[in-house]
Amino acid sequence: MTQPPEPPYADEPYAGPAPYDEPAPKPPVAEAEWQRMDVRYLVVGPFAAARQFVIPAGAAAIGLGSTGSPWALLALPAFVVLSLLFGMVPWLTTYFRVTDTAFEVRRGLLNKTRLTAPLDRVRSVDLEASLVSRVLGLTKVAVGTGVDDTRIELDGIAKADGEGLRRFLLTRSRAAAAPSPAPATDATGTPPAEGGPPPVPAPAVEVEPVELARIDWSWLRFAPLSLARLAVLAGALTFLSQFVNDIPVLETEAARSAYDYVAAQALSLVLVVGAVVALVAWVVVAVAAFVVQWWNLRLVRDGDNLRLTAGLITTRSTSVDEKRVRGVKLTEPLLMRPAGGAELATLATGVGEGGTTTVLPPCPRTVAVRVGEDILGRPTDEPLTVDLHAHGWLARRRLHVQEQVGVLVVAGVIALVVALVPWDLPWWIPLAFLVVFVPLGVVVCEAQYRNLGHRLTAEHLVVVGPSVVRRREVIESDGIIGWVVQQSFFQRRLGLATLVATTAAGGEKVVAVDLALPVAVGLAHAATPGVLDEFLAA
Amino acid sequence: MSEPTAVLREPTNLVSPRAVSYWRVSSGIGTLVVWVAVAVTWLLWSERPWWATALLLLAVVAAAVPTVLMPPVRYRIHRWDVTDVAVHTRSGWITREERIAPLSRVQTVDSTQGALMRFFGLRSLTVTTASAAGPITIDCLDAAVAADLVAHLTAVTGAERGDAT
Repeated sequence: MTQPPEPPYADEPYAGPAPYDEPAPKPPVAEAEWQRMDVRYLVVGPFAAARQFVIPAGAAAIGLGSTGSPWALLALPAFVVLSLLFGMVPWLTTYFRVTDTAFEVRRGLLNKTRLTAPLDRVRSVDLEASLVSRVLGLTKVAVGTGVDDTRIELDGIAKADGEGLRRFLLTRSRAAAAPSPAPATDATGTPPAEGGPPPVPAPAVEVEPVELARIDWSWLRFAPLSLARLAVLAGALTFLSQFVNDIPVLETEAARSAYDYVAAQALSLVLVVGAVVALVAWVVVAVAAFVVQWWNLRLVRDGDNLRLTAGLITTRSTSVDEKRVRGVKLTEPLLMRPAGGAELATLATGVGEGGTTTVLPPCPRTVAVRVGEDILGRPTDEPLTVDLHAHGWLARRRLHVQEQVGVLVVAGVIALVVALVPWDLPWWIPLAFLVVFVPLGVVVCEAQYRNLGHRLTAEHLVVVGPSVVRRREVIESDGIIGWVVQQSFFQRRLGLATLVATTAAGGEKVVAVDLALPVAVGLAHAATPGVLDEFLAA
Repeated sequence: MSEPTAVLREPTNLVSPRAVSYWRVSSGIGTLVVWVAVAVTWLLWSERPWWATALLLLAVVAAAVPTVLMPPVRYRIHRWDVTDVAVHTRSGWITREERIAPLSRVQTVDSTQGALMRFFGLRSLTVTTASAAGPITIDCLDAAVAADLVAHLTAVTGAERGDAT
């Protein structure tokens, strides 16, 4: 048995891009030559540049046009030429190479940057292709390392090369991490080819990808029930309404009187029709967005990697080393719960974007649970379905007290305003507010309390709520890297505490609110044996 | 279904006694700023209604409360322990917080000293893990103690393998 050579960067965390001012040290084993991105990028680049220029160019054209300056005629040709020029710069100045130890990118015309991802630090490789790129057969590669915020992105790689690069990087990252006898060469025994396209190693033991989930179009029924997109839609409508106000026809006397007539005749009819139109619009938008985002969804386990591919117009392919997936999050929004729907996300380290990757669209809860358990490796402790411990009467009371104090403060402010402002506001306004919001607060808090719970299973910490949306977070006990026990003044009086399990995965923390203090400490002690030993009271 | 329970003991070590003076001075600066603002308002706004006078008096008292009460309370609360296995700190004065992190998961050991802290011979030490939610700070240690602790922590965590996630 030969000892594997030390991974070269094992002891120092990857410190981000290093300035490129002297020639790189030679890689120890083999040297691959620097290569440019695919030449077809010269077509994509100008489009990307044009997108960046379109707003300033438009503003300049309108500005110049309104002054009647002859320069306005030059705006369009200038825009096209600049887009072409700037679109080519990335292709001319970006080089990448794969050595035996690292994936390297250097770019920049004046400010040169060099990005290095040691192969043993590669955690995730994503491929993404916009419509233009897809037509040309190109893809964008994003490599995630241990540091969440720095992903190395490379636009414009030929699709097949991108696939090869992804497989190579993920295979090698595992080979470097695991104590296999021959990590210096890839699984086929050949070092990366010199100069050629990125190597496509075939693993010695070809593992058939196992499919965990695939799109089922009956899931479309959940699309309108997921309100997350409603905020986006509302924003877009507000934006559009500004233009509607500017349409001159609404200002004319005739249109206004016609509108008044209709409104007076059938206000209720107008309201009903408006509501129906809004509902239909919402269903259409929600379904369309669902189709665009999740078209052709496949979630597969390929060796030790989880791979998600989806998308109608822009296709995404996200691969994460399964060892980096520390837990899952199962979300059941309020509207989806009666319909039996849920969403599933993974909590992983080193994937960027907050470490949380949504892997399933709104789908039946049973499907989400099954896939979640598959991702966690079919644990015997059933963290996604196990019954939870309630937090108890004091936690429930605290939820209600917090809510009602808020309601009373707002009512007090309203009463003050009613009393002080000079216009004759009716005295019962604050009372009406209380009549509506006190019962509403009770209902909301009860709903939140019913979604509040925790459980430590054999290998996982499970935490839910408190929130109207039922959100179950499951994190491997092994992925917990510290504890915080917080007690506010009022929590101290009630003997409650908020327990925060810190982790490198997902949102970087899992929070259990309002546990009894001894239960919180007991939970921490049981989840990470040995860590708290010396700090406990005898 | 009864759950395991446990109770944390009070961490052993206090921070430097000079921390009380440091907190008093740094909080006192804030108090002084408020007092000056109140005094200026008092002088410039001579025909103020009764409630404005009351508010100003309230501001004078409220600004002084943290400076008077906080330093000794905080000194009693702020405690820490470092073993070969883990770090444990307790901090805060109204909201309290206990933080624990195993040394095997520590990424960096930093120490900082502001200008005022240097005057009092104090130094703060921060231990970070791979979680943004997890940094552990021991505020206002004696500078010499902090230096020893940094050396100890660096030695222990340097011996760890793996990437601590």
